[in-house]
Amino acid sequence: MRTYITHRLGIAVLTLFGMSLVIFVLMRLAPGDIVDILFAAAGYVHEGDKKLIMRELGIDQPIWVQYVEWLKGLTTGDLGKSYRYDQPAWEVIRPLIPVTVELAALATVISVLIGVPTGVISAVRQDTLLDYVLRVFSLAGLSMPAFWLGMVIILALVSWVGWIPPLIYVSPAENLKIHLVQFLLPALAVGYRSSALLMRITRSAVLEVMREDYIRTARAKGQGERLVIWRHAFKNAVLPVVTVIGIEFAFLIGGLVVTETVFNLPGVARFLVQAILWRDYPIVQNLVMFIAVVVILSNLVVDLLYGWLDPRVRYAD
Amino acid sequence: MPQFRIAASLILVVGLVAVIGAGTPAVGQAPKSGGVLNVMQREDLAQGFSIHETATISTVWPSMPCFNNLVLFDPAKPVESMDTIVPELAERWSWQDNHRNLVLFLRKGVKWHDGQPFTSKDVKYTFDLVREAKDAPAKLRINPRKDWYANVTGIEAPDPNTVIFHLKRPQPSLLMMLASGYSPVYPAHISPAEFRTRCVGTGPFKVKEWRKGEYIEYVKNPDYWAPGRPYLAGLRYVIIPERGTRTAAIQAGRLDITFPGETSKAAAEQIKAAIPKMVIHEVGANVNDNLLLNTRKPPFDNVKVRRAFSLAIDRRSYVKAVHQGGAVVGASLQPKPYGFWGLLDKDLDQLPGYGKPADDKAKARQLLAEAGFTAANPLRVEIKTRAIAIYVDFSSFVINELKQVGVEATLTQIETAQWHPLATRRDFLVGTNLTGIGIDDPDANFYENFACGSPRNYTDYCDEQVMKMFDQQSQELDRKKRLAMVWDIQKRLEMDGARPMMGWRRDYFAHWPHVKGLTPHHNIYNFGRLQDVWMDK
Repeated sequence: MRTYITHRLGIAVLTLFGMSLVIFVLMRLAPGDIVDILFAAAGYVHEGDKKLIMRELGIDQPIWVQYVEWLKGLTTGDLGKSYRYDQPAWEVIRPLIPVTVELAALATVISVLIGVPTGVISAVRQDTLLDYVLRVFSLAGLSMPAFWLGMVIILALVSWVGWIPPLIYVSPAENLKIHLVQFLLPALAVGYRSSALLMRITRSAVLEVMREDYIRTARAKGQGERLVIWRHAFKNAVLPVVTVIGIEFAFLIGGLVVTETVFNLPGVARFLVQAILWRDYPIVQNLVMFIAVVVILSNLVVDLLYGWLDPRVRYAD
Repeated sequence: MPQFRIAASLILVVGLVAVIGAGTPAVGQAPKSGGVLNVMQREDLAQGFSIHETATISTVWPSMPCFNNLVLFDPAKPVESMDTIVPELAERWSWQDNHRNLVLFLRKGVKWHDGQPFTSKDVKYTFDLVREAKDAPAKLRINPRKDWYANVTGIEAPDPNTVIFHLKRPQPSLLMMLASGYSPVYPAHISPAEFRTRCVGTGPFKVKEWRKGEYIEYVKNPDYWAPGRPYLAGLRYVIIPERGTRTAAIQAGRLDITFPGETSKAAAEQIKAAIPKMVIHEVGANVNDNLLLNTRKPPFDNVKVRRAFSLAIDRRSYVKAVHQGGAVVGASLQPKPYGFWGLLDKDLDQLPGYGKPADDKAKARQLLAEAGFTAANPLRVEIKTRAIAIYVDFSSFVINELKQVGVEATLTQIETAQWHPLATRRDFLVGTNLTGIGIDDPDANFYENFACGSPRNYTDYCDEQVMKMFDQQSQELDRKKRLAMVWDIQKRLEMDGARPMMGWRRDYFAHWPHVKGLTPHHNIYNFGRLQDVWMDK
């Protein structure tokens, strides 16, 4: 197991290195830079002053020099300085991370709470009215983008009750009740879409397992239907479900752009878009690296869960 | 649908009438102190609080409460002019030596937010910084308004409470420039770079916290020089990048007031229909839509082709179609009743693009033919614009109008980061553009957008005779004579196709009825001090 984890972490480091290179180069291939944006806010461009600012920010250096400087900084925990805010990048990024992680986690929990039970029920009650209703419910979830649903929720609330959730982030320490109110609706909007996917996967996985010989054997032994479904069928069908949960969580960390924007939550994804528009390279690079780390770790956790959930899965030492 | 529109329009009209009563300071009602005003902010600060380093409402609007100017446009009067300038840090002023020296007598006992005393040294420091005087002790990283002070030869601070601006020639407009929201006084003891991260001013509110991407929070300055001001205990600018969420936020009461220049006519109608008691002010924004024709590149070095383009575009249809009536026609200065210097309708009617559309289009075809462009040899042009919906809508209308006179135009959308570098390089043949003017003043507008060699004169229009006209009007002290000169210049610029104006935007500034003492101006840049605002809650 230890060798496996070491091996995976080694691959993770290589992946992160590749990612760092790709994001670094891609950002610089995009037309314009922060200095162009700053001058855009002033309505003119002065070439002499532009060069001075580029020197001040260090973006007049060759790309490879900038890259090496960034990597050197990463190894010492120095993420550089935000061009836009003239402040250490870590200070800008740090408050964003808990917001996005919490929203993604809450959405994932909601998706599991809705998606898994409905998937199992749908499989067990295959081709009944309940199955059709649940399938329509899940198809609707897959068809509706979370941001659209978010905007509809906001508009419906303001039209019907003249109320929307608070638009300034309140931490749980400040006021837990307001905090939950702020997070519940976006988490529901995102969680519903994810739950639809989970429901589809759970349903097909359970349906497949329900046809296995050991299910018939369990029933023949006189075990109760509930026990057959949850202990034998669901436990054996859970591997693909766990994989999807892991992928969904990782996706949500970087994929909440519009939901965070619509509900005005100061998370990683919303900020990332702003940073890209401003060509704030240090912020973009570090946020993308953060998302990459989450994706890699999620996959690793999912792989390790396999071994725990299914005793047949063993990682060679 | 038409019935709904009629009903919505009626509601808006009734609402606008109601505004006259609700929006003006309540007569006989004593202002109440306290409360925090929640203010709409569409994006985070571009350069922190460094107003002198930007030219965007996104910075000036949320930064104005931190600062004071020497003088300011009266917050209670919507039309800005020389007559509405009121004292701020300068208690009074005097023109001397035939308007070659402006002497300002400063308010005593004023303190910066960090407790340091305000003196004439701060004034000299600020305006030497902006005009890039040889002996200026610091330099702005970006300096968009250096040209405003091109006529200032020196600034003198003979004692702590007096400042003298020495001018090359008389220029009454200097006072207008000093009254703009873009002209705050900076403290000499703080580096201009620091304003990108914090704010030390003399203004009515002190910055409490700027949470990046979330909000900017101010608290009342207890040592403010104006007795009894500000009324509010604080301000909170809530940054909401999504337009739909912003509208929902004002409707739900999460915000008390909107963002200047943000609310279109359609949005105002929607808000008014949802919340009939919402107060909506129809004001001019002092922002115009204009067509850029590169006068250095053929065929636009030919005035006939430029005039043909101007004739081809029916301005009245433009404001109806593109702005659904949320704009007005006008030449290069904001028209009445929003502006002081704009051309009258009878004069506009004589200009290209304002007459009968069929006649103007026929004249356009004739001019194009004279320039060698016919049905057999049509003029083909590429129009460049920013990849933003309002610019694209504008361009689409222009393309359709040009098609009707035989011009085949295509549209290329330019990413925002690339737009100003492209415009500054003059790397376009035709462009569609929006220009916000900091003050309703001929000097600020002409020298910036039409003068030979100005970096923001994107079309590179340059005429020595017109330059002389600019200088003559600039030093004319008789207001009536100056107005006549300014009208002549505007006619000339439109006839020359220097930068054909399409229309002037209106803003439908909205706030809840409990917000009192707030009078939106016919210019989005200059009413952000908010020291007289109070809440009747």
